[in-house]
Amino acid sequence: MRARYLAASLICGLFAADAAIAQAIPGQDAPPLQLSDVNGKRVDLKDLRGRIVVLEWNNPHCPFVQKHYRGGNMQSLQKRFTGEGVVWLTINSTSAGHAEFMNDKTLAAWIGKGATPTATLLDPDGRAGRAYGARTTPHMFVIDPQGKVTYAGAIDDRRGTDAAEIKGATNYVAQALDEARAGKSVSIAATQPYGCSVKYGG
Amino acid sequence: MIRKPDEVRMKRIGTTLLLLLATWMAGAAQAQPVRGDHIESELVAATDAVVPGQPLQVGLRLAHDRHWHTYWQVPGDSGLPTQIKWKLPPGWSAGPIEWPVPQRLPVGPLMNFGYEGEVFLLTTLKPPVDLPPDGSTQISARADWLICEAVCIPDGADLTLTLPVRTEAQPSRRAAQLAGARALVPRPIALDAATATIEGNRIRLAFKPQANVASLEFFPLEEARIEAPAAQTLKSEDRNTALYLTAAQPVAQEFKTLKGLLVANGGPRKADQGGWAGTIELPLRASALGAGFATLADSGGGDGNAPLTLWIALAGALIGGLILNLMPCVFPVLSLKLLALVRHQHDAVTAHAAPVSMPRHGFAFTAGVVASFLLLAALLLALRAGGTQLGWGFQLQTPWVVATLTALFFVIGLNLLGAFEFAFGGAIASSAAAERLQSARVSGSFWTGVLAVVVAAPCTAPFMGAALGYAVTQPAAEALLVFAVLGIGMAAPWLLLTFAPQLLSRLPRPGAWMERFKQAMAFPMFATCVWLLWVLAQQVEINAVAIMLGVLVLLGLAAWAIGLAQRGAPRYRWVALIAAGSAAYALIAATAPAAIDAKPVRAAADTAWQPWTLTLQQQTIASGKPVFVDFTAAWCVTCQANKQLVLRSRGVQQEFAARGVVLMRADWTRRDDAITQELARFKRNGVPLYVMYDSAGRARVLPELLTERLVLDALDRVAPAKVLSGG
Repeated sequence: MRARYLAASLICGLFAADAAIAQAIPGQDAPPLQLSDVNGKRVDLKDLRGRIVVLEWNNPHCPFVQKHYRGGNMQSLQKRFTGEGVVWLTINSTSAGHAEFMNDKTLAAWIGKGATPTATLLDPDGRAGRAYGARTTPHMFVIDPQGKVTYAGAIDDRRGTDAAEIKGATNYVAQALDEARAGKSVSIAATQPYGCSVKYGG
Repeated sequence: MIRKPDEVRMKRIGTTLLLLLATWMAGAAQAQPVRGDHIESELVAATDAVVPGQPLQVGLRLAHDRHWHTYWQVPGDSGLPTQIKWKLPPGWSAGPIEWPVPQRLPVGPLMNFGYEGEVFLLTTLKPPVDLPPDGSTQISARADWLICEAVCIPDGADLTLTLPVRTEAQPSRRAAQLAGARALVPRPIALDAATATIEGNRIRLAFKPQANVASLEFFPLEEARIEAPAAQTLKSEDRNTALYLTAAQPVAQEFKTLKGLLVANGGPRKADQGGWAGTIELPLRASALGAGFATLADSGGGDGNAPLTLWIALAGALIGGLILNLMPCVFPVLSLKLLALVRHQHDAVTAHAAPVSMPRHGFAFTAGVVASFLLLAALLLALRAGGTQLGWGFQLQTPWVVATLTALFFVIGLNLLGAFEFAFGGAIASSAAAERLQSARVSGSFWTGVLAVVVAAPCTAPFMGAALGYAVTQPAAEALLVFAVLGIGMAAPWLLLTFAPQLLSRLPRPGAWMERFKQAMAFPMFATCVWLLWVLAQQVEINAVAIMLGVLVLLGLAAWAIGLAQRGAPRYRWVALIAAGSAAYALIAATAPAAIDAKPVRAAADTAWQPWTLTLQQQTIASGKPVFVDFTAAWCVTCQANKQLVLRSRGVQQEFAARGVVLMRADWTRRDDAITQELARFKRNGVPLYVMYDSAGRARVLPELLTERLVLDALDRVAPAKVLSGG
């Protein structure tokens, strides 16, 4: 039974005290998340226990985000999975001081054009982004009903800004959600995310 | 020869024309640069013509506007590598991009690898052998890149390059630029005795440097392997240079080879200052505990992690050893040593022996201490080699050791009270040894030294922790040396006493008081038993503790029976034998694995404290809260003293609560590999260890002996008191 502790501690590894950015690691508990949405409503991940939650790091100015919104790829994922009871949280961690910052109204207006996440959350101080280790836009996370991270990484396997390459891509998020909903374990739980860097302040 | 003026003029005109022609030709050989968003791009060739069948060096020149950058082949946390799609005439082939050494480009908390300013991405093209000469050929390429500053723009250009085909080619006007660019392309490098090991997510890359390495950067050649923004720590260890990297989490199963680019002393751009770069590919091996792993014990101040030199470690070990004498858990044995010394002096006086025998006892005692430390070090090294996750306090983490020590101290207590005699020697390691001591009293002092170490080991005194951590990470010879010095430090005061008999002579004269003193010494022994039983109760279930108390009753019976036998009733020997045998049997039963596993996990008695896990700690810090971690164990007296006197004090508790510090307790009473690893990360092998993390995750290590003031000062530095708002 000690061997199990050993294995667990090896998998967890050692936390680097000097890293300013933490991480949500597949197989571990999702870090706490408490943010206000564009309508000022408080959303707490704790209250969402019992449901599958998708986190989508977003920045409308980023060409990689635009790739998935212009062709309607992200919107159709949101529509399909929220329709199946999944909670979809779109999060913008752009720092308030950054040129690409959008306030609640402008962000709500942009989302309003066809996107249907469960909520659009503002994280201008980047606290949630740093807690999850969100590196890029998009950077996707899937959390299971027990609050464990089951997927973290890229939206798909086509790194680029060309919307034409979405067709034929393997969408890791859809795959993870389909597997989780079928009661299977997620086959690809971690990938390298791609996109613009999240525009954290300082 | 004298030239006519006309001739000279003609020559000049001819030269000018030739120059003009050459310039035009050169112009024809290159394409015009293309201006894009914040970037200028063009294709350039190293020669002025294509020679059929001869490799042609070309480069994509990217000139970025100030502050803008494009990406290396592995872009880091975000970004995209630049791509070139060649459109070549039939029969041509193109090699891969040969990337020059990139730069680290920090973006907030993230890290990218790429280029600023001007860069040439080189490619070797191969024209067909049957290319007809005396024509010209057009090479085209589509280059795509992501150019970023604060914002990112995906961009690209269609570039062409027209070159004449000839049987011979001269270096082009841009040849020097391309040659300069080629010097920046790293080649595989063979480093002397290079190894790569991983423990948890710490990677250690070590090699024997050929020349001084003042700075070293690692760029991963595979994605999702290295935590790009994590600090890379360069250390000079022994004869090795070691670079510590952080693996990306979760550590990929298939991460078995460390592939990357090493850039030393500023890289080839600073070749004149000893800069170099090269790619490496090393098998990545899992490391056993302490194979040179070290992190910054206190990263609060930034990069002040000068490696502990051997001398500092030795000095620390000496001081640590000295202070060990004052540690509470040494006290019972210390009292024994006192008794032994008094007895030696008494012997010397009554036998009119030369006082020179005193230092002999002192040296014997020192030898005993040093030998046990060396033995423990050798054992630790052997266990380390075997990869067993054992820490310094392991003796008292093992229930049978605790139980045996309890029995031993109980028997010593009974003996001191006079229940039976074993012609009391300086040592009580075992009664068999004690028998031998009667004839060899110098060896008695040796065994006293041995026992002192066994009991002192779990209480790591200040300085000792770091010295131990240091020793465990060092080659065997140095580790043994540190342990030896630790022993010398511990024995030094006693050795001094034997050399300075005038100090000893201040001790009272022997007399009847000595017997009473000896009897009184039984009570520290019994007190030690109480403490050991309390430790045991943390480790095994309650029934096993009851059995252990039964063992003590049986031992009492045995001692009484031996006493009777010694006073002329030999048949009681059988009672003693049976009682002692039953006690041994019961002791084994009390500490059997079943008893240990049946021990329920104790609910936190202190609601303010949460049980420590690495995950909980990381998550709490990530959510922006400061964290205080108390690494403790029931058998660690220093830990208990700190807990009762400081950590549980009202003042400290109030401040913890007021500043929102999350309190975590890592209980090492029983073996716990996660805690052992975390201690190793702070170069420790024992408890106590107190670590305060601020909300940014920076660690501050507190001393091992706490005071309220110390804790409050540390609190002020990591979690300033909240200003009450008016709302």
